[in-house]
Amino acid sequence: MGIFVFLPLVLPLTAWPIARLAEQRLHPRTATVLLTSVSTVLALCSTVCLALLMVVGTAQLPGNPLPDGWSDPEVRASVPRHEIAGKAAIPALLAVLAAGGRTLARHARVRRRAHRALAGLPGTEVAVLPDAAPYAYALPGGRRDRIVVSRGMLGSLAARERRALFAHERAHLAARHHRHLLLVQLAACANPFLLPLRTAVAYTAERWADEEAARAVGSRRVVARAIGRAALAATGSATGPAPVPTLPALAAPGPLPRRVAALLGPEPAARAWPSLFTTAGLAVWTAATGAALSAMFSANSALTLAFLLHAATPL
Amino acid sequence: MAEPDAHRRRRAQGALETRVLAALHEAGGAVTAGWVRDHLAAGLAYTTVMTVLGRLLAKNAVTRRREGRSFVWLPAADEAGLAALKMRRVLDGEQDRHAVLASFITALPEGDERLLRELLESGDD
Repeated sequence: MGIFVFLPLVLPLTAWPIARLAEQRLHPRTATVLLTSVSTVLALCSTVCLALLMVVGTAQLPGNPLPDGWSDPEVRASVPRHEIAGKAAIPALLAVLAAGGRTLARHARVRRRAHRALAGLPGTEVAVLPDAAPYAYALPGGRRDRIVVSRGMLGSLAARERRALFAHERAHLAARHHRHLLLVQLAACANPFLLPLRTAVAYTAERWADEEAARAVGSRRVVARAIGRAALAATGSATGPAPVPTLPALAAPGPLPRRVAALLGPEPAARAWPSLFTTAGLAVWTAATGAALSAMFSANSALTLAFLLHAATPL
Repeated sequence: MAEPDAHRRRRAQGALETRVLAALHEAGGAVTAGWVRDHLAAGLAYTTVMTVLGRLLAKNAVTRRREGRSFVWLPAADEAGLAALKMRRVLDGEQDRHAVLASFITALPEGDERLLRELLESGDD
């Protein structure tokens, strides 16, 4: 295995350029699908390698339940600096599993509790709740996918903007965006280097739904105005603590102004892939190569370790 | 196997809250817990009805006042109102709810607010 077992742990770095560029250079649909896939592959490979290192590390511990042959010098020699890497991998993998489990549990809990809150209402697609705070959510699963929207939100929007809002939420549900979001969250739990991809996908999924909404209502400007009005209404009625003042000169614009600006700008080209000879094209290929190498190295390491362990296990 | 049972029980309790609230609406005035139990005619124990009313009170979905030796109950919210109260608790209870429920808008920092206003004004031309 040698050094190759460590590479999938850092290869997620190859996806950073495209995570930065995807927002502007790719169609939001392409960006969401690409970043989610790359993120999932890199996270899986990273976790496989962590598990391999853990096997080597555990086999060194006194009183471990693994077969004695697995602590064979030849197995240990297959990992450089095995005494540190092997033992460090044990808490690392446990932390990954705990974080992933927590994320899954939270996801299930929020969805279950939200569906239960709506249980007493007629089972229509849109549930309008008498609440002055403006909010709108796409709630997947349960007996049927639902859109939850507060009266406060509807009250802050004109008729066409409401249609844009519903089209936006329907697009989330139709494209199963919650799955993308869950996958990138789990990936970020598996390897913190994948956090920028999680942030990027959270944004591109919203942009994807915005573009679908723009197509449904036939105007990008209406969607932009709907987002803007809803956001400003939410800020005006905020009951929580006052927002921490930020230095506007230092802070990059947040996701909401960027979404509005993107909608006021030209429609993104639906062309699937940028040419290789552009920055974005290079970034896509870097990430794809990183994911492919990661898959190759982790598969190679897994096979090597399997052979070594097989050879070291007395029959 | 305890988990799914617990879920079912909790869901049943949620449905019961809605039915008790509906009964209070049908009453058209302040009524006692005993009246609610008889009206529901579901063979519920008096203590069950009291528990449900107590939970609704904690959610501000009902009000009560003392009349003689017992309480009489009045609805403060309709079914949609109860759903809204419950949804608020889900949303407020989860710090990272945006990670699960894709939301139309997220928090807007101060600098972003100004930027957004400028963008919208330029878009209205």
